[in-house]
Amino acid sequence: MHTLPPERWFEQFGVDDALTLRVLATATQHGADDADLYFEHSVSTSVGLSDHKVNRAHTSVDLGVGVRVVIGDQVGYAYTEDLSEVAMKRAAAIAAEIARDGHASVPPQQVRTGKVHDFYPVKRQWSDVGVSERVPLVREWESQAFSRDARVKNVQVGLSDADKHILIVRADGTRVADYRPMTTAHVSVTSSEGDKTEAGGFNLAGRAGIEFFTQERQDRLVDEAVKRSVDALHAGAAPAGEMPVVLAAGSSGILLHEAIGHGLEADFNRKGISIFADRMNSRIASDEVTIVDDATIQNDRGAINVDDEGSPTEKTTLVQNGVLKSYLHDRISARHYDVEPTGSGRRESFRSTVLPRMSSTYMESGPHDPGEIIASVEKGIYCVTFSNGQVQIGAGDFAFYVRQAYLIENGKLTRPIKDVNLIGNGPKVLETIDMVGNDLKIDDGGWTCGKDGQSVPVSQGMPTVRVASLSVGGQS
Amino acid sequence: MNTTTSEQLDLAERTVRETLGLGADEVSVSVSQGSHTTVQRRDGKVEQATEATTRGLSLSLMVDDRYSSHGTSDLRPEALTQFLTNAIAATRFLEPDPDRALPDPALCGRGSTDAELDVFDPAFNDYTPADRSKTGHEIEAAVIASGLDNVISSSAYIADGSSQSARVTSTGFAEESHGAWFALGGETTLATPDGKRPEASAYYAGRYLSDLPSIETIQAEIVRRAKERLDSGPMESGKYPMILLNQVAGRILGVIGGPISGGSLHHDRSCLKGKLGESIGSSLFTIVDDPTIPRGLGSSAWDGDTMMAKPRTIVQNGVLESYYLNTYYSRKLKMPATTGGRSNWVIPAGDQSWQDLAKAFPKAILVTGFLGGNSNGVTGNFSFGVRGVLLENGVPTKNLSEMNVAGGVLDIFHKLSAVANDTWTFSSTRSPTLIFEDVQFSGT
Repeated sequence: MHTLPPERWFEQFGVDDALTLRVLATATQHGADDADLYFEHSVSTSVGLSDHKVNRAHTSVDLGVGVRVVIGDQVGYAYTEDLSEVAMKRAAAIAAEIARDGHASVPPQQVRTGKVHDFYPVKRQWSDVGVSERVPLVREWESQAFSRDARVKNVQVGLSDADKHILIVRADGTRVADYRPMTTAHVSVTSSEGDKTEAGGFNLAGRAGIEFFTQERQDRLVDEAVKRSVDALHAGAAPAGEMPVVLAAGSSGILLHEAIGHGLEADFNRKGISIFADRMNSRIASDEVTIVDDATIQNDRGAINVDDEGSPTEKTTLVQNGVLKSYLHDRISARHYDVEPTGSGRRESFRSTVLPRMSSTYMESGPHDPGEIIASVEKGIYCVTFSNGQVQIGAGDFAFYVRQAYLIENGKLTRPIKDVNLIGNGPKVLETIDMVGNDLKIDDGGWTCGKDGQSVPVSQGMPTVRVASLSVGGQS
Repeated sequence: MNTTTSEQLDLAERTVRETLGLGADEVSVSVSQGSHTTVQRRDGKVEQATEATTRGLSLSLMVDDRYSSHGTSDLRPEALTQFLTNAIAATRFLEPDPDRALPDPALCGRGSTDAELDVFDPAFNDYTPADRSKTGHEIEAAVIASGLDNVISSSAYIADGSSQSARVTSTGFAEESHGAWFALGGETTLATPDGKRPEASAYYAGRYLSDLPSIETIQAEIVRRAKERLDSGPMESGKYPMILLNQVAGRILGVIGGPISGGSLHHDRSCLKGKLGESIGSSLFTIVDDPTIPRGLGSSAWDGDTMMAKPRTIVQNGVLESYYLNTYYSRKLKMPATTGGRSNWVIPAGDQSWQDLAKAFPKAILVTGFLGGNSNGVTGNFSFGVRGVLLENGVPTKNLSEMNVAGGVLDIFHKLSAVANDTWTFSSTRSPTLIFEDVQFSGT
């Protein structure tokens, strides 16, 4: 059982307030506009099932500290897995080199505790959940998947979780600590019918404890995995060319993530390399479009109580009724634009420096019934499930991959199609979102966002929307 | 705490002994340490400088025929003992899977000596912060001086690192390895009349500093890519010859990687199951997996299972000759083990330039980059976003973007009609430019 509260977690590794102040003094020996120490201790576990057996497990422990020194928009960074004073001061001295020509700052004389939210309460930390409790869950999901449909031939299941404790000590002596749970479950199914074989899978993720897996979620995990696999048996090739696209509510928020989300991360904008760099307060979409980034959704995969440089998190309105209202800021960009940080400074681990990142990005509901939106399309596609996406920040071109979709013919869903890449240009596509549904859904899948080699957990959401035209990468 | 390779070997051996003493039946331990430095310059100053040494220990173990794997960066002795104790306790809750046992020791060992692999450049030890600073300045200055119009921002990137590791198993394997790498490149962002800010970048990696291209080459490549980004857009959907530039060929070649892996084959998620010995491509389609290439980015002396690394033909003149089968999946599939994963992929080169080969086509699409997309290993179907250039009789006539290419693993390589003479060496995929005919592109 864990008795140490988050703010005292690193005392078990010999890290106390006095030590952090001494390391900070080394980091700021040549001066700094900002500096921080980011301590991290994470313990993760995964168990996996294949061949009808829960036959593998993996555990990992990660412990270390990153030291960051900021001068203007210049960053010096170093990290170490060794929490001895000697090693941490060595890292601090390396990070301080960025300010080599400066003058020593006055280091803080004492630490003070910063406040954090509580967006992900858990009944038990994962470290208090034995492997013996995880194994029956995984086995049950496999059993249920086979029972759902006789065409199911192969099932693989995984359950992963982590307890992460972080401690941030900033140059002004502010100390912020957080406990961050995370869990992800996936079921992968292979189905056969005649000479056809198809695979499908589904995953669920949350910043939560084992109670995340309610009966409803467990049922959905299995049902969706089986459905995606067997539905694919009868799905055909997608068409090729430009056409209207209707995106189903939920994980189609990937369009926002790629088409606009990355482009509104303020580091790209302060450097002038985002296509949205000079468009603040200008119209970029129709009145129906309001887009937010929200780190405050309880137990959501993208939720964070405090960002990775100690700023409080929030729900940030990026686009209000079609008008660009805010970028996503870390402390560097907030100073650049003379605004408050939006709590968007994130990093993958203590090995990575801070970047402005998304949390949970979604579009607010609009006025239209989803059926009305589908009925409005004479010939196009209706996209249901998605996987990866990518964007070019400056050009604005983006793409995302559709696993499952349907052809729309004369306002009706006709035949299922699958495995097709959609590509477009962010600003152009935003301008052509001309119908927004009244059915916003936040997807609780295991989405992970990559940027500059760093991966962070995110989520996304969307109501049903119609995009007037996207290039569909089909085969006919 | 920095450790030498012999200290890593000692820690690995001690951990093997301790794990066995705590109740494991078999164990494989890897201890590694690395260092890396990156410097990014933008618009005349250092944007970010990162330097660190990193360390870690990973192991896999068997207890009563049960398998688990573990990793930690907390190498304090008391923490490590508790970590191993917990690992063994957790493993006992799993179900037996004896196929996870370590490989036959007779198959294990070094396939090459350190001298043969030559993956540590002695110049690494003499590479100083001043050297990095000088190179960064030079790249950035070259990008700025490239003559491009309407440049918004220019940047340079310099990175290098080294790694040392020791691997010890309870079945007698005990080896060390040591390597280094260097990378550099630059990027420019342009303002264009259509309101876009297209970026063009060029990055190179190698084992030896002297193998990396000159500043002039980097500059020329960035200029070429930047010019391709100007006034770009989609063209009419249809089937066209695809000229797949060497440096991005790995994206299409990679679509066979999943279907020939042991896991996909065992779990019936492969469109290439049962295809060994069958034709999956034209006679020009050959892939050799070669972990022994001197200075190769994917070179190594042993594979993930500690089996001796050696060259292996994956596809020979269009015929599928080998799967990737590690010890575990070879036992599951009752087939001889090969190796578990890719090292260097070598695609033999032809004897003509792609520019000469392109002249034969009234219209062809030169693919120079990818954007998103994915492939389905079960069906083999893929769909990727692409950018590039329309060539008419080999002459560039339109820059392309917002387009997709689609196809299937089972037919795309039959469409391989020519191989150019320009092998790309700055990646573990060593491919020349490849030409495919009758490929489906979607645009307008």
